[in-house]
Amino acid sequence: MTIRTRLSLWYAGVLTASLLVIGVGTYRELDEQLRHNHRREAEEHAILETGELLFQVGLPAVLLGLAGGWWLTRRALAPMAELTEAIKKIHECNLREPLPRTGNGDELDRLTGVFNEMLARLDDSFNRTREFTLHASHELKTPLTVLCGETETALRDESLSAAERERAASLLDELRRLARIVDGLTLLAKADAGQVALKLEPVRFDELVRDNFADAQILAEPHGIQVELAGCEEVSVRGDRHRLRQLLLNLADNAVKYNQPQGQVTMSLRRAKDAAEFTIANTGAGIPPEMLPRVFDRFFRGDPAHSPTVDGCGLGLSIAQWIVSAHGGTITIKSEPSKQTTVIVRLPLQD
Amino acid sequence: MRVLVVEDEKKTASFVRKALQAEGFAVDVCHNGDDALAATRATPFDGIVLDIMLPGRDGLSVLRQLRERKNTTPVLLLSARGEVNERVEGLNAGADDYLPKPFELAELVARVRALTRRSGENKSTVLRVVDLTLDTVTHRAQRGGADIELTAREYRLLEFLMRSPGRLCGRMMILEKVWDYDFDPGTNLVDVYIRRLREKIDANFETKLLHTVRGAGYLLKDQP
Repeated sequence: MTIRTRLSLWYAGVLTASLLVIGVGTYRELDEQLRHNHRREAEEHAILETGELLFQVGLPAVLLGLAGGWWLTRRALAPMAELTEAIKKIHECNLREPLPRTGNGDELDRLTGVFNEMLARLDDSFNRTREFTLHASHELKTPLTVLCGETETALRDESLSAAERERAASLLDELRRLARIVDGLTLLAKADAGQVALKLEPVRFDELVRDNFADAQILAEPHGIQVELAGCEEVSVRGDRHRLRQLLLNLADNAVKYNQPQGQVTMSLRRAKDAAEFTIANTGAGIPPEMLPRVFDRFFRGDPAHSPTVDGCGLGLSIAQWIVSAHGGTITIKSEPSKQTTVIVRLPLQD
Repeated sequence: MRVLVVEDEKKTASFVRKALQAEGFAVDVCHNGDDALAATRATPFDGIVLDIMLPGRDGLSVLRQLRERKNTTPVLLLSARGEVNERVEGLNAGADDYLPKPFELAELVARVRALTRRSGENKSTVLRVVDLTLDTVTHRAQRGGADIELTAREYRLLEFLMRSPGRLCGRMMILEKVWDYDFDPGTNLVDVYIRRLREKIDANFETKLLHTVRGAGYLLKDQP
């Protein structure tokens, strides 16, 4: 039972009770007066009239009371409903927008004030985490530049033995992997802080998909993986060409990396009702259902037993997810372990 | 060829200088923006490597000042932030190229070389490395007189490599010029394309032309 109904019932109950008291009081008063006057006829008539009076006055009074109670509590609780709606809309990106206050200083207004203070504190700590990641990735770049540079310089030294050269080269490979991780982190930290501007323009998505198909075939060839383009309808989306290419290459690279030798990759692009729908499916070990909700998490690697040799920065799908949502689209993944894993991207069509 | 390197981080400045000197450039180094402006006033340079983050006057401000003075020396901007917006801002301010940190040295050297020789670039329509020829008008590739079938992407890759024979080309530069990717996709796309290209141009020949330099990049040349 909501507070509103409960209060209405109480209010109606109180009204009825008070009406009853008034009724009984009136009756007794009349009765006594009549007894004093010893007028029998009038007495009977008056009793009847009193009953009628109670019915005619009491019932509307009760109804009026109920309606009044409902209206009153509704009015009193309206700010509560507004507050509930406003709180429902809070997520990590709009923490800095305060909840609207009535300003009348009642309990609810004070509660809203306390909520706002809490939101400000949360926003503060979110910002600090974001800034930390941003600064950390930025600070890492200078030493990384020096490390890469020194190692490359060492590799140019003609007097190095083959073994030393091999060591330096493998060091450099790892440094570059680290550099990619730092790059990915910077991008995501900036995206979180809303600092990455997309260059939006009409883009023929099917052309990007065909391009990507060619690259995917090349990537798949050394592993004996077959890549198929099962359909590519002409669709235009409003997007950032570079980011969309990054998205497609990312997904194609995953489909090859997490595949099995002699496996299969199938991609297709079709025009769904109000979206361009790109699907890419690959064979391979797949993802167990309990891990599916976490695949877009940063640095989520799944079960190491299933993909022990895969090399990557662990941020690919997080970046893919960011690109899709920055374009107002959705990305979903489903997997039948040991059979097929499918990623579906939906992007809003260009008008 | 004389190049000015403006970089406040001493170690970075030092290995950039060494790498460019190894390529035969004369290199001057400044550690802040004001020194750089003074140096460009005193000496004509063929190219400038300019870090954006500098103490005091930052790189973009140095660049604007230079262009205001009608100094058209080619400028390669370096940045640790590596944002698309910053790249656009830099190019709008008059930079000729942009390289995000951490960069690869081979990459930087190749870009500086591209900047400084731009005016005198090989304009011939038929590129030639030993017995390998590429006609940039008809897109016809031949080695030892035999035609080589190339896909569009392979053609662009070969053309890019043949425009600077004997010079090392970095992976990022190839991705940027051949694929038009402005991000590091973290795939071995370039390696795989190079392997395919090598099969087409080198497999049947004694002299190998396309070489991989581990940890640095690729180059076309006639010695092993």
